[in-house]
Amino acid sequence: MNQFYRSGFILTCLYISCISPSFAQMPFDEIMMPKGELCVAVLGEHGSWNRYWEGDYFRENANIGTFTRQMLMPMVAMGISKKVNIIASLPYIQTEASGGTQVGQADLQDLSVSVKVDWLQQRVGAGRLLFLTNTHLSNPVGSYLSDYMPFSIGAGAPEIGMRAITGYKMDNGLVFRLATAYLWRGQTQIERDFYYQDGAVYSPFMNVPNAVNIQGAIGYWTLENRLRLEATYMSLNCLTGDDIRSYNRPQPTNKMEVSQVGFWAQYYIKADRGFGAIAYFNQTVSGRNVGKAATMGLGLTYQFKAY
Amino acid sequence: MKKFTIQITILMLLVVGLQACLEETPRFYDFESYEFSSVDEDGGTWSTILVIDPSEIQLAAPLSVNSPAYKQELKDVKNLTSTLTSAERKAVEYWTSNPVIRWNEIALEMAAKYNLIPGPNADGTYTLPNPANPVGPPAFPFAHPPYTSRMLAYLSVAQYDGLILAWKYKFQFKRMGPSVQDSSIKSAYPENGLPSYPSHGAVIAKVSKEILTLMFPLEAQVLENHYQQHLQSMLHAGINVPSDLEAGVYLGDEVVKLAKMRASIDGMARAQASKPVSDSIANAAFERFGWKWQNTEVPQRPVGLTPLFGQVKMWHVPTVEEVRSPPPPAIGSAEFEADVRELERFARHMTLDQRRIANWWEDGLGSYTPPGHWNKFAKLSIVQAKLNPLRAARVFAYMNTAIMDAGVACWDIKYYYHYPRPVETIRNFRTILGTPNFPAYTSGHSTFSAAGAEVLAHFFPTQAQQFRVWAEEAAMSRLYGGIHYRFDAVEGTIQGEKVGNYAVARAKSDGIDE
Repeated sequence: MNQFYRSGFILTCLYISCISPSFAQMPFDEIMMPKGELCVAVLGEHGSWNRYWEGDYFRENANIGTFTRQMLMPMVAMGISKKVNIIASLPYIQTEASGGTQVGQADLQDLSVSVKVDWLQQRVGAGRLLFLTNTHLSNPVGSYLSDYMPFSIGAGAPEIGMRAITGYKMDNGLVFRLATAYLWRGQTQIERDFYYQDGAVYSPFMNVPNAVNIQGAIGYWTLENRLRLEATYMSLNCLTGDDIRSYNRPQPTNKMEVSQVGFWAQYYIKADRGFGAIAYFNQTVSGRNVGKAATMGLGLTYQFKAY
Repeated sequence: MKKFTIQITILMLLVVGLQACLEETPRFYDFESYEFSSVDEDGGTWSTILVIDPSEIQLAAPLSVNSPAYKQELKDVKNLTSTLTSAERKAVEYWTSNPVIRWNEIALEMAAKYNLIPGPNADGTYTLPNPANPVGPPAFPFAHPPYTSRMLAYLSVAQYDGLILAWKYKFQFKRMGPSVQDSSIKSAYPENGLPSYPSHGAVIAKVSKEILTLMFPLEAQVLENHYQQHLQSMLHAGINVPSDLEAGVYLGDEVVKLAKMRASIDGMARAQASKPVSDSIANAAFERFGWKWQNTEVPQRPVGLTPLFGQVKMWHVPTVEEVRSPPPPAIGSAEFEADVRELERFARHMTLDQRRIANWWEDGLGSYTPPGHWNKFAKLSIVQAKLNPLRAARVFAYMNTAIMDAGVACWDIKYYYHYPRPVETIRNFRTILGTPNFPAYTSGHSTFSAAGAEVLAHFFPTQAQQFRVWAEEAAMSRLYGGIHYRFDAVEGTIQGEKVGNYAVARAKSDGIDE
């Protein structure tokens, strides 16, 4: 279930962090990071849950107790040109449960590289209509085992995502944004060669279901474009997959679904290059085959002219 | 826009490229029907395991091939084979010339489906699966390793004994199949020279359906569908006429009666003891040794898994006392401490290879269990050696009865010594595998695997080394998983070998294996 937090999180990062207000804000605005501009960031995230959905049955499990997932993620973003930016990230994740006798997992997760393109900026009424795309590729780099849920730090499969971002930014600082992504996921190699997924499967590979990911936000820029506040919504729905079986552990083939609401704040210490800070909070409101997690994160960004 | 097109194109190529790299995730073992490496004309004389007196099951002689009734049957089969739908053709391919393989796979699939441990109720109590109310919740059965070992033993033994009877009458009556009687009828499978009355496939279908329905009552309809499809496929394959099938079904039925009779009194019904009995077993161990195993789940399970499985009737070992393991090292003794330190070392510095071994052999909840794992090995060797169904059933029958006997012997020891698990004796010990709901000594994986390996080594001597290496690996996997001490694994392996050799000795009495 963790890859969802990752997806949602990376998504958020890709679009929201690393933007200097001196260059007119966000990737879904008319100006992205200019050519030669580089931004590095580190984000720390803490998520936990003590109840989860087994299929659509919402339950507790004293042998998990409270499940905790912590992440430290370095990121780097670069302006290739005014219209094309590249962003890469590689999180380190650690999981543990307060109950039971099983050990958690800790490893580098997936390297993600994404290309963001600014396609359209059109003045409409008291604002601008925007259209951007983001394409990402991610692949596991660590040796973590995906078939060790719920402790696994990721789905252990390559992912290709295509995302369309539409937005409307008003001159008074209000922003409306909707991003929709299709996530194609490959297979994850596991360490057994027989498993059950609606029947017997004789293979050391599991198919990780493809998914649709939706992100919506209503944002507001204030303090001379140095503080950005957003109310966010995120959902991720696998298109296929099986349910966690009764009192059994999850596996990467599960049809995972999650929707969460959140809040995001970003502050630029100087209205130019240099340091910025991020804080956010997400609460899962509904799900299937995932934990009902509350997640909070803090981040530090630093932007400079690289060449 | 051009850039956009390029981006899309690259992406599509990537997705298509990666899609092409995807590995298959097959639902069954895809193999070509083969010509059997032997016909075994004397197969009807081999000793049965379940049937005490084979002469008590008599089969009437078939109609002559010149009788009008037989000619009509032949004509019907000819019509059927010439008008197959693609689904029917697929079914013929699926069932193959050795349907023992398919029914074994169906059994493993059901084991995996039902190998789910009941969760706690809202008030912290647990409800046991109840054969009188199989729907539950929880559903009946919980197909844990002892349950699955027994299920596979009865399945394989009934198949084997049924096929011995089928072989006996095949070579007594020598009525050949449709393709021999009428050269315009083509058999879908390689010609094997086997008489077709009674149909061996029908014997397999009937006993498998009935035994599996007994073991998995909620699957009755699914099994009935498999059964009907299998019977039809034999007509469609042009290898049998309906009277061949009826005779096979009859023999199957007779063997099933005996199997059910044995199963009803083998002691399994009492294996999941009550809490008072379970407590008295634990307390007896505590008084004797100063320790007792306890379930570490929350809420705590009141009774371990099948405390009295050690009293279930064995197949080849006269009394369980003959294969008892010596006492384990006392908790706190030097040997114990050394093995504990070893576990701590594994947990601290787990190599990827150790992790892989632990997981490959986990065969835990939701899986086909260790007996299932060994059935998969047997299957691969059977197909590789092109064994006929009788030989295939022989391998499964001796292996699965040996594996069940190993389980009985192991459980006898487990609840006698009642030895605590590493998570109980080592402070703050965390494992990569879930700790099972029964005592540690001896290791079930080790006994199941060593017994299975000994039997397979007997039937496939050229692969003997590999089977024994696997059994050793299965035993060690539990140390890497953090749920067994080395002495559990070592003694379990010895115990499993001993048990396996009882089965091998009995198999040897037929004097037919290399």
